[in-house]
Amino acid sequence: MSSRETDRMSSAQQTLDILYEISQLLHTQLDKETLATCVSMIENGVNPEALAGVIQELRRENTRIPEQSNVNGQ
Amino acid sequence: MASNLESLVCSLVPHARQDHSVRDELVAHCNEIISSHIGQSSEADIGHLADSIKRHLLRTSPNGVPALRFSNLLARLLEQPVLSRKHASLSFLQALGATPPTSARSPAPLPALALPPPPRPQSRHRSGSTTPAQSSPQPGRQLKGKTRADILREYRAKIDRPHLSETLLLRDTLFLLQGISGKHVQFTSIKDPDPNQLTFKEDPRCIIPAPTRTLIHRLAEVGYLYIRVDSFVNGRDGKTGIGMIEQSLCHHLQSQLTEYYRLIAVLESQMAASQGSEDIADDPSAHGREEETKLTLKRLDVWIQEWRLRMRMMSVCVEGARDAHGGALVNLIHGYADNGDPFVRKFTDQLLEEVSKPFFATLHRWLFSGELNDPFSEFFVAVDPQLAHMQYVQQSSTTGQLASDGGFGGFGGFGGESEDISGEREVGLKLWEGKYQFRKEMLPSFVGEAFGRKIFSTGKSLNFIRYSCQDSDWVATREKLSNTGGTLQYSDIAGLERSIDTAYQIASRRLFDIFFEKYGLLHHLRALKQYLLLGHGDFADQLMESLAPNLSRPANTLYRHNLTATLETAIRQSSAQYDPPDVVRRLDARMLEYSHGEIGWDVFTLEYKVDAPIDTVLDSEAMIKYLKLFNHLWKIKRIESALSKGWMRVAGGARTFLRVPELNNEWHQVRIVMAEMIHFIRQMEAYCQLEVIECSWKILLEFCNKKEGDLDALIEAHRAYLDRMVKKVLLLSAKAGREETLLHQVRELFTTILQFREATDDFYNYCLSESARRDAARDHERGIYTGPLRDSKPSPDTLPDILRRINEYGSTFSEKVQAIVQGLQTHADLDCRFLGVRLSFSDFYKSRREQAQSRA
Repeated sequence: MSSRETDRMSSAQQTLDILYEISQLLHTQLDKETLATCVSMIENGVNPEALAGVIQELRRENTRIPEQSNVNGQ
Repeated sequence: MASNLESLVCSLVPHARQDHSVRDELVAHCNEIISSHIGQSSEADIGHLADSIKRHLLRTSPNGVPALRFSNLLARLLEQPVLSRKHASLSFLQALGATPPTSARSPAPLPALALPPPPRPQSRHRSGSTTPAQSSPQPGRQLKGKTRADILREYRAKIDRPHLSETLLLRDTLFLLQGISGKHVQFTSIKDPDPNQLTFKEDPRCIIPAPTRTLIHRLAEVGYLYIRVDSFVNGRDGKTGIGMIEQSLCHHLQSQLTEYYRLIAVLESQMAASQGSEDIADDPSAHGREEETKLTLKRLDVWIQEWRLRMRMMSVCVEGARDAHGGALVNLIHGYADNGDPFVRKFTDQLLEEVSKPFFATLHRWLFSGELNDPFSEFFVAVDPQLAHMQYVQQSSTTGQLASDGGFGGFGGFGGESEDISGEREVGLKLWEGKYQFRKEMLPSFVGEAFGRKIFSTGKSLNFIRYSCQDSDWVATREKLSNTGGTLQYSDIAGLERSIDTAYQIASRRLFDIFFEKYGLLHHLRALKQYLLLGHGDFADQLMESLAPNLSRPANTLYRHNLTATLETAIRQSSAQYDPPDVVRRLDARMLEYSHGEIGWDVFTLEYKVDAPIDTVLDSEAMIKYLKLFNHLWKIKRIESALSKGWMRVAGGARTFLRVPELNNEWHQVRIVMAEMIHFIRQMEAYCQLEVIECSWKILLEFCNKKEGDLDALIEAHRAYLDRMVKKVLLLSAKAGREETLLHQVRELFTTILQFREATDDFYNYCLSESARRDAARDHERGIYTGPLRDSKPSPDTLPDILRRINEYGSTFSEKVQAIVQGLQTHADLDCRFLGVRLSFSDFYKSRREQAQSRA
């Protein structure tokens, strides 16, 4: 592993830390891992607003599934 | 990409980790969302994004700490080289972060109850009222966690009376701002003066909430004011007879209104834009940005805020303009300039600057060319329409006639001409005093009354120079010079005052020069003093001598041509002949109107004729005073000459040929009394000439040399000079009703003196004939025949009668002088009191009185 690679890694880590802090400030309720995933996706050209929509959609889905399972369970 | 999505799904939906079908389904769904075109419009402006995030942070926690931290983090993030799409990342976080504040403040305390906070419509934290279209509840979400607002909304939806859409109200309000009634909100009546009359047309299907109503009310005020201003401007437009100041007020208002239209247009386009975007982008994520620019009632209120004040000011001006006019209007507006509110002050200043332009244009012409260009009588100088076009005709015709008369007043057409002249005399002063009037109520208060007076006087002087003194060239030159000196305007009051001062000085100085140099005012004044006030002693003596025989005759036997001929002789024989012919030719002798039984002494008068424009100073009133003075002085002169002749006769005769030894004692008495009379009249004369006339003349001369003040001051100085002389020469006292008591006493005294003189003449004649008789008798005794012996002895009672008269008049005189001296001692005027002292020097009369008292 070259020193350049190490630098890159550490700076990426820093960037992620900063982004995570911002996300916490904004109360996005994302954990670090998800955030990293999302940022990489955005870096790959995914539309950020659409991605935000996805996250919300998935959260809603997450709440609905237990409901459904509750309903099913009754 | 797909693996990323999968891991996302797995981390966010733990349930999907076990259930593959669910996972696949979710991934497919997410792919769909991502490939859709949500929010494609966003452009990469990281500054804007940061701003909106900061604003959001400030909103959620007003203490500003998170916002500060965010700024820090952002700065650090921007330094990092790794990410290529920082903006996108940020916007992603923002979109996610825009979750409900309630949930943000209590971030899911118990994982067991990990229910997301009750979802709300995206527009929930939008400022202002919620619009029904956006807040229409979505079924299925309301199952749990209903807030009260939700319940209310639900209720409204149930009874089918939702809030009226704000967009509709907004459109109406924009109409209201232009003074047009909208669909839902209307002015009750355009003509209605009450601004609060705004009706909300109740639509049974919709409700306009009370706060919104109040808001619209506030906004509608501007519309109402607009109607007033606009109707004023339109009303004045095209009407004739509107003052120039009002016209410029209208112009200013119109330009302000144009600004206002511009604002309305901008607002309207913004409203249209926001409506359009609302139609297209119904997606929740688009609202965030739109929210920044969308027009709402509250935003409208902010936009209009400044205009509300402005409209109010304009409306006030409009109200004032209804009954104020011209300068008064400027004054009214100026009244608002003294305001602590910088906005009001600035607005008023601007307005004044505009409005006072015509005023200053008029002022400029008035101040520098003496022309009143004021078609709507708005200036604080008003012209008297009767005198406006009356211009002086330089009296070339009269002058020519006078000159051709050989130096003295016109011989022919005496009556008519003198009337003419007196008529013109009126004109001089009347033109000066009456042509222009100062109107204080029209004077703008920023000028100040002292300056107003100066301006008034300056213009008047210039006008007078131009039209009455035939010196328009000078005025024109001045005007040209002044034009280079910049314009007068409201914002430069100090400069204005400076130019007023200089203009005033120049005009006054010029007027003085014209009066003193071109028209020789001082020569005329001096001539008046020399002739009418008998300053030329030799001339007066000559005139007296040559006129005396004529004047003793009854007035109706006198003819004017004889008088003027005598006058001419007197002038030729005295030093008066060296006076300039222009002065001498103005001198005229004439008779006052006489009644039956008056003799020449009573009616004779000298006259001095002046013409324009000198008659502004020497007006007819002043001339009357001069004549009065002449009359009195002439009387004194007459008494003096009568006494001096009598004295010569008595003193000379008694020594040479009046040899009647037994009457020597009587002659002595006569001489004593006569000496007393001569003392009296000499003192009187000296007092008049030296103490009164010369002193007053000195004061007048000092004023003339100083050349300060304007024509008014000159007139005033001359008037004071004359009044002072009249008051002192005629011994007028200040006591009301008894002003002329002393004068009457003095006149009576003069009569007594004349009577005494007559009696002494009789005595003289008696003695003369007696001594002649005795001489004849003696000659006869010596035997020399000198003629037939007249032994007609005068009747024995002739002598006692004459002596009785002499004694009577002598004692009467003495008594009267005592009375006069007494009167003078208590006179209010110091000079008159000194005359008393002079008359009774060494307490002559006082001791007499005391003697008389002690004897009694």
